[in-house]
Order: sequence, then structure tokens, then C-alpha cells
Amino acid sequence: MSDVTTKADEPELEDEQPRRAPFWQRLVAGSSTPIGLILVALIVVFSVMESDAFLDSANARNIATDAAVLLVLATGMTYVIITAGIDLSVGAVLVFSGVVSAKAMNAVGGDNWGVIFVGLGVALAGGLAWGLINGFLIAKAKIPAFVVTLGTLGMALGASLVITGGVDQREVPFKLITTIGTGRAFEQIPWLVVIAFAVAIVFGVILAATRFGRYTYAVGSNEEAARRAGIPVDRHLIKVYALAGTLAGLAGFLSLARFSTTTIGGHDTDNLAAIAAVVIGGTSLFGGIGTLLGSVFGVFIPAVLENGFVIVGVNPFWQEIAVGAVLVGAVYLDQLRRRSQYQR
Amino acid sequence: MARKTWIVAALMAVLAFGVAACGDDDDEGGSSGGSASSSGGKKNYKMTLVAGVKGDEFYITMSCGAQAKAKELGVTLDFQGPDKFDASLQTPVVNAVAAKKPDAVLIAPTDTKAMYAPIKQLADGGTKVALVDTTLEQADFAVSQIASDNEGGGREAAKTLAELIGGKGKVFVVNVKPGISTTDARGKGFEEGAKSAGLTYVGQDYSNDEPAQAASIVKATLAKHPDLKGIFATNLFSAEGAASGIREAGKLGDVKIVGFDAGPKQVEDLKGGTVQALIAQRPAEIGADGVEQAFNALTDKPTEKKIGTGFVSLTKENLDQNQDALYKASC
Amino acid sequence: MPEPLLEARGIVKSFGRVRALRGANFTVNEGEVVALVGDNGAGKSTLVKTLAGVHQPDAGEIFFEGRPVEIHSPLDARRLGIETVYQDLALAAELDAGANMFLGREVLRPGLLGKFGFIDKQAMRARSRDAFANLGVALQDTAAPVATMSGGQRQGIAVSRAVTWASKVVFMDEPTAALGVVQTRNVLDLIARVRDQGLAVVLISHNMPEVFEVADRIEVLRLGERVAQLRRSDVTMEDVVGAMTGAITHDGEAR
Repeated sequence: MSDVTTKADEPELEDEQPRRAPFWQRLVAGSSTPIGLILVALIVVFSVMESDAFLDSANARNIATDAAVLLVLATGMTYVIITAGIDLSVGAVLVFSGVVSAKAMNAVGGDNWGVIFVGLGVALAGGLAWGLINGFLIAKAKIPAFVVTLGTLGMALGASLVITGGVDQREVPFKLITTIGTGRAFEQIPWLVVIAFAVAIVFGVILAATRFGRYTYAVGSNEEAARRAGIPVDRHLIKVYALAGTLAGLAGFLSLARFSTTTIGGHDTDNLAAIAAVVIGGTSLFGGIGTLLGSVFGVFIPAVLENGFVIVGVNPFWQEIAVGAVLVGAVYLDQLRRRSQYQR
Repeated sequence: MARKTWIVAALMAVLAFGVAACGDDDDEGGSSGGSASSSGGKKNYKMTLVAGVKGDEFYITMSCGAQAKAKELGVTLDFQGPDKFDASLQTPVVNAVAAKKPDAVLIAPTDTKAMYAPIKQLADGGTKVALVDTTLEQADFAVSQIASDNEGGGREAAKTLAELIGGKGKVFVVNVKPGISTTDARGKGFEEGAKSAGLTYVGQDYSNDEPAQAASIVKATLAKHPDLKGIFATNLFSAEGAASGIREAGKLGDVKIVGFDAGPKQVEDLKGGTVQALIAQRPAEIGADGVEQAFNALTDKPTEKKIGTGFVSLTKENLDQNQDALYKASC
Repeated sequence: MPEPLLEARGIVKSFGRVRALRGANFTVNEGEVVALVGDNGAGKSTLVKTLAGVHQPDAGEIFFEGRPVEIHSPLDARRLGIETVYQDLALAAELDAGANMFLGREVLRPGLLGKFGFIDKQAMRARSRDAFANLGVALQDTAAPVATMSGGQRQGIAVSRAVTWASKVVFMDEPTAALGVVQTRNVLDLIARVRDQGLAVVLISHNMPEVFEVADRIEVLRLGERVAQLRRSDVTMEDVVGAMTGAITHDGEAR
């Protein structure tokens, strides 16, 4: 850094530097705080309406377990959307990874940790493969992300149907089901929830505090500026989509562990649910803005809504309307707050 | 600006509450869940019917029959169900229902194995469980399993189809997906019946409970076996799709279809001649029996572990006499 | 006469059917301010981007301190000590001033964390604050996204960034375009200071008075070729405009 100054350094300048705002102040003003408050508000509302049922620890555990797989998907999706991209293939990659993992475990045979690790490895590899395909086509061939991932969605789902003949694979090592699938840490927290939160925390920290995270924001905010600054944009995009694919692979493995079947037909709208979670959490579809904490809130808001509506007894056909309305409202509120910040 | 935010937040809360209140099947508002008084007299039991999939007329008709019985017995019954017939979608619904700790739940499990854990969790919480239509591999904890004799239904379908195509020829089955007790049984019963009736059974394929998929399967099978004579579709969506497939392939009249279930679309197909016969179950009866068995369990009366309900074989000719066997899209 | 710091000979660059540069030449000497002028479409920005590594020339040679060099990417230019203030500023609007200052040059945390790629945001913010203060760029909140700042502040950040990192040459493409009177004054003073420190400055500008205030030499580009190299002290504004519009043709030498 060359030293360009008018005169000799002026020590007085140093003393006038503004101090960094204290932690609690940053928390209150944080970008994901309003969405967090909305989540808290929903929990309060449902607790007031049906306290016995809703506030039950078993119910909380169920909500968290139901949301765990989506949280893993939303983690990868957060990175993708911050780069101003999109990944529509995550649900299909989830299914594909579960399918190849189940096939591999059955081929190896047995019911021990060894075969479970084989299954995990195959699932991650399957997800990574689709992620790399997405990344290369988007970054190098310059095909729009929407188009590429729509294509890989079809291919991954189609491949799953070809491999299984359209029939769910329902043979899964029993040990996998009893440990990761339905087992709990300290008798209380399901392992699925622990794993999902661990993933969210690790990748949340990476996004917020590492160079990889900063490059993600930079590429999303102004790809050309990032290029001119010497950031290897193409390589970075490939890594981001590869990450999303690998996490979808992990999600497929977790889903397989939980349901002991590949549930091919149950993931058609997972991509939209993950995108919705990320957007509700405050990430902009135009890139450059967003936090993983926001995505965590974004995952739990629909989960709490759906759970709460069933408990309160809302007619199932009305539930979708209500969930949709609340989601639009929550994002609108967040937008109002943002716009006031950017008023110049 | 902050004002605007508060107004929007308030509107949102009103909307959410409003929808919840309007859409609420229960009469109660924000009460704490338990019954008011249980001293002597009739206790107002709360039950939930969890369908296999939301928009299916079979389950809607079941819920109508269940509602009627519930009213008779002074039971409050509400209806829930997943968007698609899949265990990963039905599980969150069951979990949420479990939180309410209803007195009893009538449920059609979407997978014989995968749904065991969440339903067992429900039962462990004290809720009486009646399995309606489909069942689980391990069902001992349920107070009752009520379903049509699906294997018998399959055999009946084979008999009907044999008559329609003149006693011989190639026949194919459009099934749903393996792991569903009812449709597995129908497929099995049909295969046995077809073989003993001397028909050429060319196989079965799975529609995944999607009409569109059923249609493509049918067209693909026709391409492979142009001399196909008959199709048996094992459930409502599969029958709908199979009929579309035949129509699209231009084979109306050449290929006879026997469908399972009598939803409004299928009855139309029957009247229109795309489908020649429908094996209708008695979903309303299944629903009513489910409520009754659960009620018996709650009031310490004897229960029946297994109940088999019957069929009606519908054709264009006998349609008028059997109006009450048709499934409804709403009560 | 000492050899030029940076010299481009015969640069050809086309975009599809548009021939932006048709064998352009360019010279920058150490410690001077050169103004690169020309009418719209003359190819000034393209030439700058080529020398900054953003574009690759179809033909031509580049010499740095007498040696032939290949500038394939912005990183190559950076390694030679060349920094650029682009016309569009090339700032990431959603990132804060510190992040923009250190874009592509992030400071890693010391020790093990640094090996895992953890960045030291505090250090980057502090060093940026110092740079902005030294260069007279006033920012209320250095942690705010750059998008919330005025055009003048953003330009100030972009100029500060280039000036802070450059060790040999700074290219400035219309650096005063969005600025008010006072800020323009600051930038012009800054250009002079930068030159006095030993850096070369290449200034692209439409504004003749500004050019005549700070530039030592003026190179005129017309239709993708250099048509004149002029000493500022030897010419008038009319001469320059004449060269821009075609009165002098093909690389006229300075008088």
C-alpha cells in the first residue's frame, strides 16, 4: 500500500475515528432482526391460541425435525441467491442423491457404520456432481442459471426415475434409521436437527467471516467489479453451485435416513420452499445482500405456520392461502425497512 | 415510514387471524384444548381424520361419512391431509395433529413402513388410532383397521374386465406405487383373477398417484403392445390418467378400462364410454366405521380389529340405481 | 530521454464488427500527468481497459519500463503497479467502503484463522478510514453499504482505492464526472499530489479546463488511433480540439 499523504501523518485524526457500535446495538439494527421478530410474533400468536398443544416440547421437536432437511437446502441456496443466481434443481438433486445412496448401500450390504459412510459419501458425490454441472454451465457456458438449473432439475429427477423404475427404494440400513434418522442427542434433540444446525452454523460463519463469503457477496453485488478487482469470478461461481449441490446431496441422505424410503414424489416443491425461505430471510434475489441467520428464520416461519395452522384447525385448503399471504406480508415489511435505509 | 410498517403489520395479523377463524372447522375459538366438563353425561370427543392426500374425492367422501357419524355420536371431527400422497409430506401433518393430542385420529398411512414412527408417536401420546383404507406393516397398536377387501376387489375387477373383452386377450395394470397396502392388494388380486380367467397378464406399472404419469404409462404400453385389450387402474388418479391416455392414443373403444373408485371425473368417463366399469368402494362407510370404532375404544366398548367393507361394480347401465355409491367432491 | 514507464504500440481491438482501436499508440512517462483526450467513440475507455487487463488486445505490444509485457488480467496489471478508476467506478454497491477498498486484496486474520480464509474486517475498516481521511474523502458511516452514499462520495472511494494501491501508474477515467465544484478541486489537487509522489497519472477527461490545469502532456485519440502528442505548455485548447476533430492526422509529434 503506497503512502500518499498531504503532510506528515496527523495523530489527531486517529482519535476521531468512530467506534464500532456495541454488540447489542448491532443485533437490534441487524438486517435479519425484523424477520426474527416476525417469527417470534408467530410463535407468540399460536402459543396464545393453543398453548397446550403448540408449546409442547414434543411439538417443538417435531417442527424442528420437519424443518431440518429444508434448512440444509436453504443453506446452499443462500449462497447461490447472494451471487444473484438461482438453483431450481435442489429438490431433484436431493431425490437423486437419496436414490444412488440407497442403491449403493444395498449393493454393499450390511448394517453398520461402514455401509452408512459409503451411503453418505455416495450421496454427497451425487450432489456434488450435479452442482459442478450447474456451475460449469452457468459460469463458463454463460447460460442463465434459471435455465440451467431447470434443465438439471429434469435430468436429475429423470435419472432417479430411470434408476429406480419409478418405484421408491425402501430398503435402508436399519442402523441408519435408528441413529441419524430417528435418534436423538442427549435423549432430547434429534440428530437430524443437530446436523442441520451444525451445517447452518458452519456455513453461516464462512459466509460472514471468510474471504469465500466476501467473494460471494462481491460477485452478487457487482460481478464485473469483482472481476476487475482480480477475483476469480468463474471459479467462485462454480464452487458456490457445487456447494449447493453437495448440500442437496446431504439433504437427500438425511431424508432417506428419516423416512427409510426415497420419497421420489415428495420433493417437487422443495426448490421453491428453499428459495422462499432464503428470500423471506432477507436475501435479495438481485444479489449482494443476505445472511444465513435470516435463512434460518425463513425456514422456520413457514414451518411454524403450517404446524400452527393444523393445530388451530384451519381447513387444509385455506392453509396454503394463509401461508402465502403471511409470507408476502413478511417480505413486504422487510422491504419497507430496507427502502428507508437506501433513501438517497 | 415507521407508521406505514405498523399498519401493514396490523393488517397482516388481522388477515392471518381472519383466515384462521374463517377456515376453522372447529367451533371453539382460543380455548385451551381440553374438554370443559367430563362429569357424567356425554363427553365431547375430538377426532381428526388425516387423509392420504388432500384433494382426492375418495377421502372427501370418507370424511363426509365420518362427519355424519361424528354428529350422531356428538364427536367433533376435523379434516387434514398432505398435498400429495407421500410420506415426507404426510409426516409434518401427523406431527402437528399429534401436538393437539386429539382423543382419536383416523388416518390413511401413505407408506406401510415410513409412517409407522409418526403414527406410533401419536398413539403413545394417548390418542386412539384407527387405520382407514391403507394400513401399516405393524398395526397392533391401532384400535381397528378398516378397509375394503382390496384383494377381493382386484379379483372382481379381473372378472369384470374378462367379461368386457370377451374372455381372452392382453391386460395391463396401472398401479400407484409399491408400499401402499390397498393398491398392492388390488394389483395382486387382479393378477390372480386375470390368470385364472385365462387372460394374458402383461404386467403393471406405477403412476405415482399422478394422472399425467398414468396417461404416459398407458400410451407407452400401447406402443409396446398394440393389441392390448384391457386395462385395470387401481385408484382414482390412476383411472383418470389411464382414461386420458386411451383417449389421447385414439384407442377409445378398442381398449376396455376397469377403474377403481368412482370420483366425479371417472363417473363422467363411465357415462362417456371411455371407461367401461368402475369398482366403487364404500368410503363413507369406512369413515363412519372409523369414527365408531374410535368412539368405542374411548368409551370402553368392544372394538373390531379388522373390518372389511364391500364393493359396488358400476357400469353405465346400473349407474342410475347406484347414485349413492358415487364419490363426492364436497359434502 | 529516459524510456517511457508504460508504452502501447499498435493496439488493435474489435468488438464484433466495431473496431474500437485501430493500431493505437500510447505513452506514459514516470512521474507525469498525461491527459488522454478524444471525442466520443475515439476509444479512450477501451484503451484504458486494455492496459488495465480487462480486455485483451487483438494485436499490438505493450512495454513496461522498457520490457515487453503481457497483461492478460486485472491481476497482471495490478502486479505491475497499475491501478484504475473506471468510469463506472466498479464498486460493489452492497458492500461497505472498507470492503470495496480491499476488494480482491482482503486482509486475512493472523495465524490459523487466516489459513482458513478468515478475513480481518476491523483491520480493513481501520486502514480504509485512514486512507479516506488522508485523501479528504468524508464518509459518515464507513460500515454502511456504498449504495447509500452520494455519487461524489462513491467517486471519492473509487479514487482513494486506486491511489492507495497503485505503485506506478493510476488510470482515471472521467474521475470528476459526478463531482461538485469543491470535490472536483480535491481530485485535481490529489492528482497533482500523486504525481509529486512519483506516480504517473493518466487522466481521461472531456473537460478541457481541468486537463489544462493538471496535465503535463496531452495525447489525443481519434477513431481508434493516436493523432497527436502535445506538451500542455506548448498548445492552446483550440489546438487540442482541432486534433480531436481531425485537423491533425496520424500521430503528429509534439511541436
